[in-house]
Amino acid sequence: MGQCLRYQMQWEDLEEYQALTFLTRNEILCIHDTFLKLCPSGKHYKEATLTMDQVSSLPALRVNPFRDRICRVFSHDNVFSFEDVLGMASVFSEQACPSLKIEYAFRIYDFNENGFIDEEDLEEIVLRLLKSDDASEDLLMDVMHHVLSESDLDNDSMLSFSEFEHAMAKSPDFMNSFRIHFWGC
Amino acid sequence: MSEGSAGDPGHGSSRQRAVHPENLSLGSSCFSPPVNFLQELPSYRSVARRRTNILSRDKQSGTLLKPTDSFSCQLDGGITENLNSQSIRKYALNISEKRRLRDIQETQMKYLSEWDQWKRYSSKSWKRFLEKAREMTTHLELWRKDIRSIEGKFGTGIQSYFSFLRFLVVLNLVIFLIIFMLVLLPILLTKYKITNSTFVLIPFKDMDIQCTLYPISSSGLIYFYSYIIDLLSGTGFLEETSLFYGHYTIDGVKFQSFTYDLPLAYLISTIAYLALSLLWIVKRSVEGFKINLIRSEEHFQSYCNKIFAGWDFCITNRSMAELKHSSLRYELRADLEEERIRQKIAERTSEETIRIYTLRLFLNCIVLAVLAACFYAIYLATAFSQEHMKKEIDKMVFGENLLILYLPSIVITLANFITPIIFAKIIHYEDYSPGFEIRLTILRCVFMRLATICVLVFTLGSKITSCGDSTCELCGYNQKLYPCWETQVGQEMYKLMIFDFIIILAVTLFVDFPRKLLVTYCASSKLIQCWGQQEFAIPDNVLGIVYGQTICWIGAFFSPLLPAIATLKFVIIFYVKELSLLYTCRPSPRQFRASNSNFFFLLVLLIGLCLAIIPLTISMARIPSSKACGPFTNFNTTWEVIPQTVSTFPSSLQTLIHAVTSEAFAVPFFMIICLVMFYFIALAGAHKQVVVQLREQLSLESRDKRYLIQKLTEAQREVRSQPASA
Repeated sequence: MGQCLRYQMQWEDLEEYQALTFLTRNEILCIHDTFLKLCPSGKHYKEATLTMDQVSSLPALRVNPFRDRICRVFSHDNVFSFEDVLGMASVFSEQACPSLKIEYAFRIYDFNENGFIDEEDLEEIVLRLLKSDDASEDLLMDVMHHVLSESDLDNDSMLSFSEFEHAMAKSPDFMNSFRIHFWGC
Repeated sequence: MSEGSAGDPGHGSSRQRAVHPENLSLGSSCFSPPVNFLQELPSYRSVARRRTNILSRDKQSGTLLKPTDSFSCQLDGGITENLNSQSIRKYALNISEKRRLRDIQETQMKYLSEWDQWKRYSSKSWKRFLEKAREMTTHLELWRKDIRSIEGKFGTGIQSYFSFLRFLVVLNLVIFLIIFMLVLLPILLTKYKITNSTFVLIPFKDMDIQCTLYPISSSGLIYFYSYIIDLLSGTGFLEETSLFYGHYTIDGVKFQSFTYDLPLAYLISTIAYLALSLLWIVKRSVEGFKINLIRSEEHFQSYCNKIFAGWDFCITNRSMAELKHSSLRYELRADLEEERIRQKIAERTSEETIRIYTLRLFLNCIVLAVLAACFYAIYLATAFSQEHMKKEIDKMVFGENLLILYLPSIVITLANFITPIIFAKIIHYEDYSPGFEIRLTILRCVFMRLATICVLVFTLGSKITSCGDSTCELCGYNQKLYPCWETQVGQEMYKLMIFDFIIILAVTLFVDFPRKLLVTYCASSKLIQCWGQQEFAIPDNVLGIVYGQTICWIGAFFSPLLPAIATLKFVIIFYVKELSLLYTCRPSPRQFRASNSNFFFLLVLLIGLCLAIIPLTISMARIPSSKACGPFTNFNTTWEVIPQTVSTFPSSLQTLIHAVTSEAFAVPFFMIICLVMFYFIALAGAHKQVVVQLREQLSLESRDKRYLIQKLTEAQREVRSQPASA
C-alpha cells in the first residue's frame, strides 16, 4: 500500500473543486492527503483509483451499517477515483444543501435499486440499524407498518422519491445525522 | 393520515409480494404493480429528471447534449430558464459531469444580454463572498474542536448540552458588554481622567435626612478571615466597589458637549439585556418549535425520523457504534411499548378513569404540599439569615458566620436535592405513559428549582418593605435595616452564584472522581459494581446551568458585574464538565435526541427568563429606590426615570407617547391583534382540512392507477397467450 506520487494539488484545481463541491479548502486538502496515503504507488492522484474495500475501511465509514450502499452509490464501475471521493465528501459535508442529501439518502436506502423504497428495503434498513439477528418479527412488522403509515401517502406500500422527500423535510434530525466530518485529518 | 383506507395493500402480505395470477380479481386491492411499469409512468420520469437535472429530454441516454443542440432546443424556452439560479454544487451529479454542465452554462452565458451577464456575475461573487465570510466565522466559533470530539464520542444529545453551555457563555458576555458600554464606561472614563468629564451630583431635595444615612460598618480590629468572608458574601470591602449597585451614586456624567444621564442609562441597560435575551432565545428556538408544530398531528414521535435519520453518520468509534445500535433497539422497543400503553389507557373503563383521576388529584396535592413546605423552609431560612446578619456579626465564630450567611443557599440546594427523588417516587403511582412521566417529572423539577429563587427574592422584598415599628412612611422602605437595599439583594444573588459554583465543583471533585476510582480499582466488590460508573445526566445538568443563568438575570440589575462573573463561571464549568464527562462517565444506553434536547433546553431557559422578569419588574416599579445610595436617589421608584425623561421631550413627541400608552390606544390595538390571530387560526384550520382531503384524494388516485395497471397487465397477458390468432 504505497503512496501516490506526491503531487501538490494545483491552486486552480483547488479553486475548481471548491466551486464545484460544498467542501472547504481545508477539507479538500485533508481528503487529498488521505487519498494519497491509500492509493497505489506510482500514479498521479487524478488517475489513481481506490477499491470499495479501501474506502469502506476508512475510519469515517468503518462502523457505518450502510457503508456498502454508500460505496456502491458513489463509486463508478466499482472503483473510487479522487473526484468520486470528493463528491461523496461533499454530499456528507455540513454545508451541503438538504435537497442533495435527500437525493443521495434515497439512493443509499434503495437497496434493490428499483427507484422505490419498498418493504424489502425497509426491512433491510431496520435490521441493519438494530444489528441483532434475533429481532423479533413483531418489532419489525410494527416499525415497518408505522413508517409506511406515516410517509406512504398513496398507500402502495412503497416510498417514492417524492414521499421520501416529503418525510425527510419534516424530519428534524435528518440534516444533523446525515453528516460525516472526519476524513482522516 | 387515512389509515382506514380500505385494504391497506402492503400490510397483510408483507413479504410475499409475488403476484399470482390466480389472486387477481377486479376488486382485489392486493395487487402490487411490477416496478418497471411504475418506472415508465410520466410522473416518475419527470421527478427523476428534476432530481438529476440532466438537460437532455431523453432519460435513457443520460448524457448531456452538445451545446449547440441544447441551445437550439431551449432558445424558445428562454435561456435564463436553463441557467437557473441554482448553484452548480446542488446538482446530484459527479464532478466531471458538473464540469461539463458548467462549461455549457458559461457558453450559454455569452448569448445573454450584458445586463443579465453582469447580474449573474455579481450574484455569483456575492455568494462566494458570503461563503468565505461564513468559513471565517466558523473558525471563530468557540470550542469547536472540543464539541466536535464530544459529539463523535458521546452522541448528539450530550453535544447539544455543551452547545447550550457555549450559547450561555456568549449570551452573558454580550450582556456584560451592554452593561459595560452603557454604565461602566462613562464612569471609568471620568474616574481615570481619560476624558475631560466630571460627575454630576444633585443634592437631595424634600427628603428626610434620615433616609440618606448609609452607615458603612467598620470595626476596630479586622481579622484575616473577615477578608475571606467578605469575598464570599460580598460584604465589607466588596460592598463599596463597583460590583454592587451602591457604588453608582451618581446622577450624571458631564462631558464637554452633553450630559450623560446615568440613571436612565442604568435602567435602559437592564431593559436592553432582558429584551436581548428574550429575542435571542426565541430566535434560537424558532426552528425547533416549527418542527414540533409540523409533526404534532397524531403521532408525537416520528418513526420515519427514527429509521431514516436514526443512524448518526458522524460516529467513528466502534464502541460508540455498538452503543448507538443498542440505544436504537431500546428506543424502538420503548416507543412500541408506549403505543401499547396508550392503547390500554384509551380502553380504560369509566370506573377506572375516575379512580385514576382522583388518585392523581391526591398525588398532585401532595406535590403542591411538598413545594409549599420547601418554599416555607426557604422563607424561614432567609428571614433568619437576614435577622442575624445585622447583629454583631463580627463577634461570631468563623464557621457560624458563614453558615448564617449561606443559610438560604444551603436550604435551596438541599431542597433541590431531595425533591426530585420525591417526585420520581410519586409519579410512579400516577400511571402515565413512560414518555409523559419523564416530561412531567422534569417539568416539576424545573419549576421547583426556578421558583426557589423567586421565593428568596420575595422574602427579601417583604422584609425590605415591612417595618416592625411603622418607620416605613418615612422613606417607603425599612431604612434602618436596609439603608441600601439594592446592594443587599445584590449580595444575596452574589452569594447564590458563588455557592452554586462551589457546589458544582465540589460534586465533581468529591463525588464523580472518587466514584470512578472506586469502580475502577475495587472490581471485587459487587455493590460498587452495581452502582457502576455514572452516566452524564442531561436534565440535571441543564437545570443547574439554567438556575445559574436565572440568578445572573435577576442579579445583573443589582450587581452590574455579575454577568462577567457568570461568564467566567460558565467557562470554568465547561472545562470541568468536559473533563468529568471524558474521564468519569460512561455513555448512557438511553440517548437524548438532539432535536428534542435543543427545544427542551431553550424552553427551560425561557421559563427561567420569565421567572426572572417578575421580581425585577416588581422591584423596579413598586418598591421605592433607596435614597442613600445608587443612581435613583432622586426618584421615587426606579421606573420614574422614564416618565421624567419623557417630560423633557418636545411637546409633540410627548403627546404622541402619551397617546400610544393610553387606554384609548391599547384597547383597540388589543382587539385588532385578537382579530388577526383568529384569522390566522381559521386559515390554518382550513388549510389542514384541505391537506386531509388532498391526502385522501391521493390514495384514491393511486388505487385507480393500480387498478388500471392491473387491467393492462391482464390484457397484455391475454394478447401474449394468443399468439397465432389473427
